[in-house]
Amino acid sequence: MQLKNVIESPCGLRFMLDELELQSGFARRWLLDSPMMTRDEEIVASYAELRRFADFVNQVDHIYINTLFHKLCGLKDIRTTIKNLKQSSVLDDIELFEVKHLAILSVDVRQLLAQHGMDGIVDIPALDRVIDILDPDGMKIATFYIYDSYCAQLKDLRVQMRQHPDQQDDLLLQASELEEGVRRDLSRQLAPFAESIEQAQLALARTDVGLAKAVQMRTMGLTFPVISPDGTSRYEAMFHPQVKSALAARGRAFQPVDVTFGMEPTLITGANMGGKTVVLKTLTLCQLLFQFGFGIPAASAQIAVKDEIYFCIGDEQSVEKGLSSFAAEMKNIDAVIKASRKNKKLMALIDEPARTTNPTEGAALVTALLSVLAGKDVSLVMTTHYDIEPGDARCLRVKGFENGTMDYRLVEVQDGEVPHEALNIAQSLGIDSEWINLARQRLEASPALEKNKH
Amino acid sequence: MLPFIDEILRYDSLSIVGLEKNTGKTECLKYVLDHMPVQKKRIAVTSIGIDGETVDQVTRTQKPEIVLREGMYFGTSEMHYRQRRLVSELIDVSDETTSLGRVVTAKALTTGKILLSGPSSSVSLRRWMGDMRRLGIDLVIIDGALSRMSSASPAVSQSMILATGAAYSANMTTLVNKTAHVVELVNLDLTSQENVKRLLHLDKGVWFIDKQGALHDLDAVTSLSRDIHFEGMENCETLYVAGALVDGFLEKVRKNKVLKQVELVVRDFTKIFVSPQQFRLFLKAGGRVTVLQKSRLIAVTVNPTSPSGYVLDSDTLCGQLSETIGLPVYDLLKNKH
Repeated sequence: MQLKNVIESPCGLRFMLDELELQSGFARRWLLDSPMMTRDEEIVASYAELRRFADFVNQVDHIYINTLFHKLCGLKDIRTTIKNLKQSSVLDDIELFEVKHLAILSVDVRQLLAQHGMDGIVDIPALDRVIDILDPDGMKIATFYIYDSYCAQLKDLRVQMRQHPDQQDDLLLQASELEEGVRRDLSRQLAPFAESIEQAQLALARTDVGLAKAVQMRTMGLTFPVISPDGTSRYEAMFHPQVKSALAARGRAFQPVDVTFGMEPTLITGANMGGKTVVLKTLTLCQLLFQFGFGIPAASAQIAVKDEIYFCIGDEQSVEKGLSSFAAEMKNIDAVIKASRKNKKLMALIDEPARTTNPTEGAALVTALLSVLAGKDVSLVMTTHYDIEPGDARCLRVKGFENGTMDYRLVEVQDGEVPHEALNIAQSLGIDSEWINLARQRLEASPALEKNKH
Repeated sequence: MLPFIDEILRYDSLSIVGLEKNTGKTECLKYVLDHMPVQKKRIAVTSIGIDGETVDQVTRTQKPEIVLREGMYFGTSEMHYRQRRLVSELIDVSDETTSLGRVVTAKALTTGKILLSGPSSSVSLRRWMGDMRRLGIDLVIIDGALSRMSSASPAVSQSMILATGAAYSANMTTLVNKTAHVVELVNLDLTSQENVKRLLHLDKGVWFIDKQGALHDLDAVTSLSRDIHFEGMENCETLYVAGALVDGFLEKVRKNKVLKQVELVVRDFTKIFVSPQQFRLFLKAGGRVTVLQKSRLIAVTVNPTSPSGYVLDSDTLCGQLSETIGLPVYDLLKNKH
């Protein structure tokens, strides 16, 4: 699975990418094409590299970083040109220009990084020889044409062109044959460097991405995660950057949340508007950020590596697919159950399953889902409003509505009993009192409220 | 005698636009390029080669080749760069792709011919012009699109030359009147500096400023909206249309008792899409139209020959047009001989 396949996940991954200050379009494409990491070693290596970029960004003067950013802006996608070079085609002027441009850029970036002892972060191949080939006059500027110094005869022809504009067409024709000879020769000389040029292009993209991730860590206050040794993920003061930024725009603060979940299923209950869905979104976001090597939005994070990540959030996109919201949800959860039988490490975050059906069957479906997934290698976190038997599941509850404000923290409770705060919350929203009072009267006449009183 | 060359050099950008095909736009560009002091000034040339809409795509006739002089910079598509007939040094290849490939920027090392097809939109044209300024270019010359004024917008280029001719209308009076209408729009007065400051950042909607100086939003997306209501505007002093100004809106303003003598502000002349008749009626009723930004119209050139072979008398045409618009008018082909 590549980053581009999950970028539209409702967990809000796109926001993180949109906020990433990448300098070149090529780096963005490279990042979107990168595969999700599922092996401990590659994740460790990727964060070791990111840590060096973060140190670099934090220690080095911003003017210098900006110079580097400015350079990386010039990184272009020249994969087609490299492919032509590998196939021993004769490159045209534009392609030769692109090769020269990239070579000069890579040498510049190498030097800039080396000045601060950072040349080992990513391995940028030395392309000085490539520059020599394409810069016969030693001008060290990233422009190109078939220089006079490549061919004495060509030089003579060009002198004549300037002297006899009337013979231009004829002279150009003769010159173009000579130029083609030079191009053939240059392409032959450059062919052995095709691999190095390709590596340099990737190394520059990696530098661009590394720097952007490091800057994002600083601006958003993200943390380096550690790999969980025991399959349990632990977050302290976890937050959702997009929600946090939207709240900040309205002058409100995001209340960070501590969560621990692991091999036993975890059930989150809590009042409406208690942030249960945001918790699931954030957990999914953190897991994806972790396996694509980004900083994690939390004060500290210990995360278990998974093979597959499932986020089922109700009726998203069901209308476009022509499914009812219930059908779409059932199919999504079905995919989790099928995958759980394939001996893979899964993480499944399911928001209020069966919410759109009647509470009797809904509660039965949710209880059964818990038992089906229990004992499988699935880190399951599920939210619900139904009163169900939790079985072996761990139960967390949003602290809830107290003294007119919402406390979004999660507390561990012994059973999965759901809070009955919907009417109070509706009232605080200023919903029509005739409606709410009538509902309250009905509840008082029914045994359901009696149960809640004890 | 070299008409208007010195004037061009006072600005950092020039757009040459033609009111119709065969009005001599290319002749005008050639004339300008031939007379630029390339030893003293760094000149860059490009064309706004509207994606796929270039004349050659429609009529299958090639865009004419332009002769560039040694030392000139130019922007053209990859395809046309490969067909160049001059020696040139590549300076940049853009990320933006047009229907003819990416835009290539180069410097002519010998005098020779090139087909121009540059950035495909005003936005990318402006970006390219920014790149040119960073390269230390003194003047950017844009071969504008036919019957599209976008490149001549003051938001893009500081100055412009307008090419008109028998191809636009073979009837001299009609030609003079139609051209005069365009010139009148280009030369509309700037509104007050205070209004410019307050309105320039509003890039959509319809707004008005009352006599106390308070700014109000009319909650209309554009002046094309049918449900614009001018209620509670007895106090209105200035009306501002951020987007296109169209006939229906202008008529509505004119027929409104309160508003008919209002100052109507538009962003610049390229946003005005009203017929000469409606425009005239509006002014006659006492209204005024002003702009936030203005480009300098350096000259009007004419081609008295229509493609169908009909020829107007050059001197009479230049004389009549010049008298009507109050600006010098040149027949560059005739002057050449």
